[in-house]
Amino acid sequence: MKFHWFNLMPWPYLPDDFTEKHRSVWVDVDSRLFDPVKANRIYNEYLDLLELAEDVGYDGLGINEHHQNAYGLMPSPQLMAATLSRRTHRAAILLLGQSLALYNPPTRVAEEMAMIDCMSGGRLISGFPVGSSMDDNYACGVNPATLREQYLEAHDLVRRAWSDPDVFAWNGKHYKLRYVNLWPRPIQDPPPIWIPGGGSVETWDFCAEHRYNYSYLSFQGYVRGAQLMDGFWQRMETLGQTFNPYQAAFAQQICVAETDAEAKRLYEPHARYFFSRCLHVHPGFADAPGYRTEATIRAGLISQMAGQSSALNQAAALSWEEMIEKGFIVAGSPESVAEQVERLARTLRVGHLVCLLHFGDMPNELCQQSTRLFAEKVIPEVRGLWQEHEDHWYPQPMPATERAVPRPVSMPAAAAPAEQTLRIAEGSQ
Amino acid sequence: MSELQHWTGPGSREFWYYQAGTGRPLLFLHHMLGLQGFEPALARLAETCEVIAPHAPGWGPAKDQLAEMDDGPLDITLHNTDVLDVLELEQVDVVGVSIGAWMAAELAAIRPERVRRLVLVNPLGLWIDGVEAVDPFAQHPGFPSRVLFADPDGRKRYLFEGRDKLDAHVEELLNLRASARFLWPLPDTGIKKRLHRIQAPTLIVTSEHDVIVPAAYGPAWCSELTDGHLTTLPDAGHLAELEQPDAFSRMVVDFLQNGAAAAVA
Repeated sequence: MKFHWFNLMPWPYLPDDFTEKHRSVWVDVDSRLFDPVKANRIYNEYLDLLELAEDVGYDGLGINEHHQNAYGLMPSPQLMAATLSRRTHRAAILLLGQSLALYNPPTRVAEEMAMIDCMSGGRLISGFPVGSSMDDNYACGVNPATLREQYLEAHDLVRRAWSDPDVFAWNGKHYKLRYVNLWPRPIQDPPPIWIPGGGSVETWDFCAEHRYNYSYLSFQGYVRGAQLMDGFWQRMETLGQTFNPYQAAFAQQICVAETDAEAKRLYEPHARYFFSRCLHVHPGFADAPGYRTEATIRAGLISQMAGQSSALNQAAALSWEEMIEKGFIVAGSPESVAEQVERLARTLRVGHLVCLLHFGDMPNELCQQSTRLFAEKVIPEVRGLWQEHEDHWYPQPMPATERAVPRPVSMPAAAAPAEQTLRIAEGSQ
Repeated sequence: MSELQHWTGPGSREFWYYQAGTGRPLLFLHHMLGLQGFEPALARLAETCEVIAPHAPGWGPAKDQLAEMDDGPLDITLHNTDVLDVLELEQVDVVGVSIGAWMAAELAAIRPERVRRLVLVNPLGLWIDGVEAVDPFAQHPGFPSRVLFADPDGRKRYLFEGRDKLDAHVEELLNLRASARFLWPLPDTGIKKRLHRIQAPTLIVTSEHDVIVPAAYGPAWCSELTDGHLTTLPDAGHLAELEQPDAFSRMVVDFLQNGAAAAVA
């Protein structure tokens, strides 16, 4: 089994009365809540955490794309991937999002991913999500009625641009290019492709058709996720696919402390910050007309009529114990967490766990502690799961001995402590 | 009560439409939520005119035709011209509501000789910076068209009553999808630069309680027209003809029969 350290990169300074005073964390979130000087430290700490994750043994470093979003400060995950490609040397760079329909021409995505794959020596995993309605339709203005069509065409174009050695013309419905001729090209042929999705049958079929990894990214936790993943595996079986747990990934909020009680004391406030403030999304931005297909709309309405809540922030009202019981969060001592992770992996039958070990306004030191404990005491307990299966969805990089080594950088010896720098900057405004 | 008719044959893509009444032909182009059957307003209009009310490509039974439509004015206008041609209607009065008013204006601008008189009710298609308007596409998906009515129960009364709840809700979302195809992310369709081509005397109507097309848009449309007249419909929201079928049809018929005089009165 493989473990990826993933950070949404939330803004940690949303005020206590955020949910009363503001209607949404996304799309029209008040930009006055953002402070670029504080962001200097936040971005660097978040990147430090990703780099630490490689040091302590995670298999992949996960980043993704959001726009106009106070819980996801990465409009451009490629920028993060670029710096990681230089500052790390072993782990996969799990770029779980380039919403293809946002880029015109989409060959831009093919180019940038090729650059990252070259710079990192072939460590890229390329994620191609359709993207959320908030990002694609509301923040970036893509027409919801044609979004999926554009996405599929952009996908075909990117795949061909990566693989066709000759110059070709692309006469699509949404994209027309007289000369497609990608420079540079990726080392991997092609990089492993993961499709982050929320549960539409069309996405499952798309993964089956291309033998892509399906990554279920929700904040609803693994108990609720089991139902959906069952659907995915049934669909794979129906379509005649051989079961391989590495064809699926699941994202889960996780935190580890020395004891269960300690985990509650240390992490509950940050989980609450995430589930209440970070998932406070105006319902009118959740689902632009046409974003979902008719079949998915119908299925969604049926489950809503059966009383299933679709609210993003439904965990906010739960007790800590209920959050764990319902799987919104995996938390506790290393023993408890190992037991929960094994249950998750066996129930969902997933080979890749995308570990959201940072969430909400969790401070850097606390996250480091959880990150280390999970790596040292949990991963070894569950590492052997699924070892009988071969992972076709993980990068095949260049041999380490043949890869370029970035020149070491010399940092200033007596850099001011981050807090002090921050105060100076604030005082100077 | 008119039954839905289905036209297939050479000269046009297939279409579904209501046709009722006798007299001067009137093409009715529906709003964002499509036709709710043979509506009361259509019945009133059919007392004095021959009403032709098609489902636009993308709406109702024509939902799958959305993929054939570009977001610009050309495909939809050619389609409406084809409809007139195959029904052998040389010149018509045209009444459009909401997105239908935009389609009506495009028809009158691109084929001015086919339109005798024009009524645009709560027309979408222009954008004025700084005028506060509600975004019809950023509503709670559980009741997305509530804001389109003045009556808080309007959505339930006019879209759901007597229908299977699931089917009505799915159709509501699909009709909004079709609207979004033409109006996303904001309703500036480029019609402004074509409005001067309209030759038909035109009545612009804004509903008193329309939050989607606020009253400020009335003069904005009117000022671009060579023969424009402006009036207000009381006690109605964006989907005017559903909420005020009698006042709506009276206003339309008066203008079509008497021209500007009625609109001013």
